[in-house]
Amino acid sequence: MMSRLIAALAVTLIVALLPSAAMAHKLREQGVAVSIADSPLTVTPGRDWNRLDGNVGKHTETWTLDGGQLNDLTFFAGIEPGKPLVRERSKKREPLPKFGAGTLLVELPELFEATYRTAKQIADFRVTDVQPTRFLGQDGVMFTYEYVDQDQLTRKGEAHAAIVAGRLYMIGFDAPRLHYFERNIGDFHRIVQSARMS
Amino acid sequence: MIARMRLAVGVLALAAGVSAQAEPPLPPPYAGAYQPQGVDEQGLWREMDEEERRFAQSDMIIRDPTLQAYVTKVLCDTVGQDRCDATRIYIVRVPMFNASMSPNGLIQVYSGLLLRVHSEAELGAVLGHEFGHFEARHSLERLKAQRSGGDVLAWAGVLASLAPSYDMLRTYRNLQLTIIGSIYRFNRDQEREADGLGISYLNTSALRPQAAAQVWERLMAEFTADARAKGLKKPRFDRIPFYSTHPPEAERATTLALLARPEAATRDDGAARYRAALAPWLPQLLDDQIKLNDFGASEYIIQSLAESGWTAPLWHARGELYRLRGAPRDLVHAAQFYDEAIALDPAHPEAHRGLGLALLKTGQAAAGQKALLRYLELKPDAADAKLIGMMIPKEVPAP
Repeated sequence: MMSRLIAALAVTLIVALLPSAAMAHKLREQGVAVSIADSPLTVTPGRDWNRLDGNVGKHTETWTLDGGQLNDLTFFAGIEPGKPLVRERSKKREPLPKFGAGTLLVELPELFEATYRTAKQIADFRVTDVQPTRFLGQDGVMFTYEYVDQDQLTRKGEAHAAIVAGRLYMIGFDAPRLHYFERNIGDFHRIVQSARMS
Repeated sequence: MIARMRLAVGVLALAAGVSAQAEPPLPPPYAGAYQPQGVDEQGLWREMDEEERRFAQSDMIIRDPTLQAYVTKVLCDTVGQDRCDATRIYIVRVPMFNASMSPNGLIQVYSGLLLRVHSEAELGAVLGHEFGHFEARHSLERLKAQRSGGDVLAWAGVLASLAPSYDMLRTYRNLQLTIIGSIYRFNRDQEREADGLGISYLNTSALRPQAAAQVWERLMAEFTADARAKGLKKPRFDRIPFYSTHPPEAERATTLALLARPEAATRDDGAARYRAALAPWLPQLLDDQIKLNDFGASEYIIQSLAESGWTAPLWHARGELYRLRGAPRDLVHAAQFYDEAIALDPAHPEAHRGLGLALLKTGQAAAGQKALLRYLELKPDAADAKLIGMMIPKEVPAP
């Protein structure tokens, strides 16, 4: 009787612990090249980062230093044409703008902006700069933006994007305008420079 | 209370098909520097004062003194100068149809509301409704009602646990549902009362009270257009769901239409003044709406604004809406809409940009590049000037 109780307890414990073990955040160590979301995109971080568990969409990964609200580094690794950047809450009722086969580089900031505005239901979003750049060995676009999120905090962000073989690859970094953005923008640039297609 | 009873009579009369007037009398204005009375009101006001202190610093607030003064003037024109001094208006940049009122006199007006109303009378109708909540002290009443409901439920729980039986449990659960339902019903009744007060303010002002019903009719049409574009079922505007905090839109539109004084129908609704005051902000508000990826609603809003005449910002917004959706046929339409915008305002840089991109994507490279070149001439310091510049070969002659 007693041993059966212990066995039952043990099973309960294992069941209770299993998901949390599988859902752990992962350390991304300095200098170790890692592939993003099982895609050809690899980066080599210049410092330790935390990969957050759970993602905002298919082919995405989110890294942070102090938590997603203070520094949010999101990789979009190979978004296919016809798909939104992040997962839709409801395909039918709250559709998000889609990346398309005909999307131009200069339209990527607009796509990003519309995705943020729609997914967060915010109005205050400004693209502050758009520049041509080289990213993943291709012609790409670099843009910076500033927005006020629902928590009424102003955040700054920067993203680098390119379209490789018809798929969208983009790395974006968001952090509060006060202190956090300036502090870690250099770490973000190192990640962008280390990005390769393998 | 009396006001609510009178309104209830009004609604009954409406149900019976009698077009009786039951305009609720206005409560006395807050005299001078009103101080909250009693521990509940004082506590509520103190909490809201703290909230307002924080809110006043928010980055979401649109800090445009001209617009702020204009919206305040519309409120004062609606409710009267002696009443409106007790309030502060904050315009918040949220792309949704809403406004809210706090018990201490803080009014939040969402930018999405400013985009959707067409005249001073319509804006006044919404502001008057919110002001009705304020003068009738609805937050305080609601606080008390919720507290009483919670008290009854807590004591019933204690008593029920003294005599545990299935019957008792069932009775307790029934009571629970009744009280929760009554709290929501209380809320809906307050909204009905505020609607009645709002229309009374409009009736006594110099603005046209029939505008109040128009606001709701247009909102219902927008919801319908949105549902149709998304392939959803036509929304119902006559049902009262259990947890609904507001009366259904159709009921509000009918009641407001009924309570508006018929002899006031010829009054000015201030539509021209409203358009002029909002003009500097309209492109921004349209942009905020379009980028929500809500095609049906955005198209409806643009069309309804265009009823008073198409302008370059409206054509440009429509072009952006179609280009952002981006199906091949949308791009053809978008190019036409940009052309219309340019015809009305040849120096509209963003219309040239949109036209250029839409043409490029429909295979008309030369014409597209020409339009983009014009964009860069008109706005050489645009954020995306360099990238756009790379899309134009150097040998394209200037238009």
